[in-house]
Amino acid sequence: MTASFPKAQVVVYPGSNCDRDALWALRYVGFDAEFVDIRSHIGSDVNLLVLPGGFSYGDYLRVGAVAAREPISSEIRDFMSRGGLIIGICNGFQILIEMGILPGALLQNSTGKFICKIVDLEVVDNETPFTRYFERGERIRLPIAHGFGRYVKTNGLVNSQDNVVFRYAQDVNGSDELIAGISNENKNVLGLMPHPERAIEKLIGSDDGLRVFLSAFNYIKTSSENMLEKTKVGVA
Amino acid sequence: MQKYRFVVDVQYKSNVRDPRGEMIKRILNDEYDIPVTSLRLGKSIHLEIEAENEEDAMKLINKACEKLLVNTVTETYEVRRI
Amino acid sequence: MKYIDILERQLGRKATKAEIEAFTVMWSEHCGYSHTKGYIRQLPRVGFGGNAGIVSLDDYHFIAFKVESHNHPSAIEPFNGAATGVGGIIRDILAMGARPTAILDSLHMDKITEGIIDGISDYGNSIGVPTVGGELRISDYYKYNPLVNVMAVGVGRNEHLIPSTAQKPGQVIVIFGGATGRDGIHGASFASEDLTGEKATKLSIQVGDPFAEKMLIEAFLEMVEEGLVEGAQDLGAGGVLSATSELVAKANLGAIVHLDRMPLREPDMNPVEILISESQERMAVVTSAEKANRVIEIARRHLLFADIVVEVTETGRYVAKYNDETVIDVPAKLLEESPEERTYGYRPVEMPKFNWIKFKNVDAHEIFERYDYMVGTDTVVRPGYGPAVMRVKSSGGYSLVIHSRADLGLQEPYWAAYITLLECVRKTLSIGARPLAVTDGINYADPDVQPEGLAAQMKGLKDACEFANVPVASGNASLYNTYKGNGIPPTLVIGMIGKLENLNVPRPRKSAIYAIGFKDFKLEREKLLWNEIERIAKAGYFVVSMHDFSTMSTLKQELQKTGLDMKVKSPKCEPVHQLIMVFGDVDTKLPKELIGYCN
Repeated sequence: MTASFPKAQVVVYPGSNCDRDALWALRYVGFDAEFVDIRSHIGSDVNLLVLPGGFSYGDYLRVGAVAAREPISSEIRDFMSRGGLIIGICNGFQILIEMGILPGALLQNSTGKFICKIVDLEVVDNETPFTRYFERGERIRLPIAHGFGRYVKTNGLVNSQDNVVFRYAQDVNGSDELIAGISNENKNVLGLMPHPERAIEKLIGSDDGLRVFLSAFNYIKTSSENMLEKTKVGVA
Repeated sequence: MQKYRFVVDVQYKSNVRDPRGEMIKRILNDEYDIPVTSLRLGKSIHLEIEAENEEDAMKLINKACEKLLVNTVTETYEVRRI
Repeated sequence: MKYIDILERQLGRKATKAEIEAFTVMWSEHCGYSHTKGYIRQLPRVGFGGNAGIVSLDDYHFIAFKVESHNHPSAIEPFNGAATGVGGIIRDILAMGARPTAILDSLHMDKITEGIIDGISDYGNSIGVPTVGGELRISDYYKYNPLVNVMAVGVGRNEHLIPSTAQKPGQVIVIFGGATGRDGIHGASFASEDLTGEKATKLSIQVGDPFAEKMLIEAFLEMVEEGLVEGAQDLGAGGVLSATSELVAKANLGAIVHLDRMPLREPDMNPVEILISESQERMAVVTSAEKANRVIEIARRHLLFADIVVEVTETGRYVAKYNDETVIDVPAKLLEESPEERTYGYRPVEMPKFNWIKFKNVDAHEIFERYDYMVGTDTVVRPGYGPAVMRVKSSGGYSLVIHSRADLGLQEPYWAAYITLLECVRKTLSIGARPLAVTDGINYADPDVQPEGLAAQMKGLKDACEFANVPVASGNASLYNTYKGNGIPPTLVIGMIGKLENLNVPRPRKSAIYAIGFKDFKLEREKLLWNEIERIAKAGYFVVSMHDFSTMSTLKQELQKTGLDMKVKSPKCEPVHQLIMVFGDVDTKLPKELIGYCN
C-alpha cells in the first residue's frame, strides 16, 4: 500500500466566494483538492476540509447562520470527531462558530464598516497542525476582508492561552484580546478571520499564508507515513 | 422633565423589495417545513428620551426618525411607548 | 409619449395602451440611445454589438468589459441605486460567457455619499468580484445629479463567447433568476428625464439581491461550461421586453412570449407590468428546446426560478401573451429601431487655455479599504497607485483604468474628451501595458437644449481614439442629468483595458523622484511622451501619470502602507499638461526636474 497525496475538500455553500481561491492554494502546495457541494458527501479518504470565505446565503440572517444548519453539517461534525483537519476561513470561521464547533461569537467590526487590507499578525500557537512552520511569536502579514470580524469571547469558553492561534498586532476590528484565529481543544480545527489562501504568492502581496497550508500538508503526510510504519511493524 | 422609553420598529415600505426576508422565508418553508406565508426583516430601535411630557417626547422621536434613524425613501416606521 | 406620432405612423394606426407603455420604455433614451446612436456609429469600434465589448487577451481568452451608469436611481436612493448599478453591469459581462473579474467605479457627487459607496461595496463584496479601482470627484455641480458609473470586466475562454442574439426559429428562451415584482417600472424612461417633480419619488425603488446575483453567476457559468447557452442577454432596463425583443430582432426573427410563465413576487401584476418590470438579477438564455430542461434544472439547483418563457419564431413579430390574451403584437425590429435624433457636426477649434477648476480633494485610501479588492487572488496592483493590474492565472495580465475630466468638460467638451483619452493612454503605458480598447460612459445634461456640447464631446472622443489608434468596444449614455433645468458639466468617463506581456510591473521603491515632461500641452509632443513612458516603465521604473499633481494624498497613504514615505514638491502644471512622475533617476531626452524623495 503506497501513501497517496493528502486529500482536501473545499465545502461550497450557496454564496461562498473564496472557494476557488482556497482550491488554488491547496493545489499550490500539493493537495489533491476538489470542491464538495453541500448536497454531496465528504469523501472517506479526505484529510482536510476547508470552509471558505464569502457571503453564504448572503449573510442575510446572521453571518454563517443558515450555512451552519445545512445537512452536510452532521458530516462535518463526524469528520471532526474522527480527527480530520478543518480550516474555517472568514465566513468559514463564522460558520464553525454558528455550528458550535468553535467557541465565541463574531460580530460586526467596531468601526461598523467592511475592511480590506493586509495586516500584521502574531503567531501565538505554533503547535497546531496548521502552524508548525511558524515560530512562536513570529510576525506575519495576512489579508483581512470582512465586515463581521470582531471576535467576542463568551463565558469563559475560551481559555485564551490554549485556544488562541493568531492575534492581530494592532486592533483592526475591536476583537477581544486582538484574537484573529483560534483552534478547538483538540487542535484539529482552526478558525481564522484573515485569509491565508490570499497570501501564497508575493506577487499578490504576501506569501505568509503559504505555510498554513504547507504545515497541514506535511502534518498529514507525516501522520500517514507514521501510520504506515506502525502497520508494517504490526504485521511484522 | 421625565424619561420616556420607546421602541421604534423600522420596516421596508410595502412596495420596496426585501430580498433578505424573502430568502429567509423560503428557507423556513423549504428546509424547515414551517409554513411561513410572509416574513419581512426590519430593525428594532430602543430609545430612552427626556422630555416635559409624552407628546413632546413623541415629537422628538419622530424627528430622530425622520432625520436619521429611518431612510424615509425606502422605510416606514412605527413608534410604541414601553 | 415622445415619438408617438412616429410610432403610429409606423404601425399605420393608433397605438394601444400596451403598445404605448412598451414603446415608451424601448424608445426611451436609456434603452434606445436616440441622441447618441448616430455619434456612436462614427467611433472607431472593435468587438461591438453584444451585451459588453469584447477584445482578445491572448490566443485562448477574451476580455468582456463595459461601463454603465445608474445616475438617476442613485439620486433618489443612493444605496440601492448604486448597488443595482453594479448588478446590472455585472450581468452584461456575464452574458458574454465571461466570469466577472473586476469592478471599477467613477463617482461624481457633491459630498461623499456613504449610501453610494456602501451600495457598491456591499454588492460587489457579496458577489465576490473585487473592486480594484475608481475615481471620486467631489463638486457642487453634482448636488442633485450624482454620477455613478460602474465599469465591470470579465475574462472568458474563446470557446465560451456567447452571442447576444438568437439564431434560428425553434430555439427557446429560458428566463431565470429572481422572481418578478414591480421594481423600477418605467425605470428606463425615468432615467431619461429631469429629476424634478413627484414622478421621481413615485417610482418603485429597485432593491438589489446580491445573493441571488451570486447564484445567477454560478448557474450561468455552469450552463456555459456545459454548452447549453446559444445566446444570452441580461434583463436590465426594459426587463423581459427589452432583453427578449433584442435577442430575436438582431437575427430578424420573432418571438412568442408567455408572460404567464414568469414567476411573480407580487401576485396581482398585470401583463404589461410583467413585460416591462425591471426586477433585478434575471437572465435570458437562448437554447435549443432539448437543452432547455437542463438549463432549468441548473438554475433551480442554484435556488433560482426558471422557465421557458419565449419561443423563437420566423415571423419577425414580437407577440407577448398572457395565457390566451395577446398583450402586444408588433414587429420585433420596430421595438429596436428607436427614432434617431439628428447628429450635429463639430469643427474642432484650437485648444483653449484651460483654467484650473479644482474638484475637492478626497483622500480615497480609506474608501478603497471598504471594497474587497483581493477576492479571486488575481489583483496584482491594487487600488490607489494608478491603474489596476489583474492577472489570469493560466496566462498573462491586463491593466484597468477609469478616468474623466469634467473640469475640462465644463470649459470645452471637445478637448476635454480628447485629453481624457490621451491621459488614459498615458496611465496604461505607465504600468507597462499596451492599450487595447476603451469603453465610454457619456454623462450629459440636456441634449435637446445643448446639442453642440454632446457633438463636441463625441467628436473629441472619436478624434482622440483615431489619434491613439485605440478603438471603442462598448459604452453607455446617460442623458438628461438635470435638475430644474440646470445640468451637469459634460462628463465623459472612459475605461481603458491594456494588455501586459508579463506581470513584472514596476513597483515604487526608495529613490529620488523626478518630474519628467512638460508642464503645458502641445499635441505634437504627445507620442514622444508615450514612447518615453513606455521605455521608462519597461526599464522597471515606477511611473505616475496624474492630471493633478497637487493632490497626492491617496498615493501617499497607499505608499505608507508598504512602508514608503513620499515627500515631493508638487510641480505646478497647467490643467492640461504632459508631465509624469518617475521614482528613480532615469535617462531621458525630456526635461527632467528633481522634485522629491521616497524613503
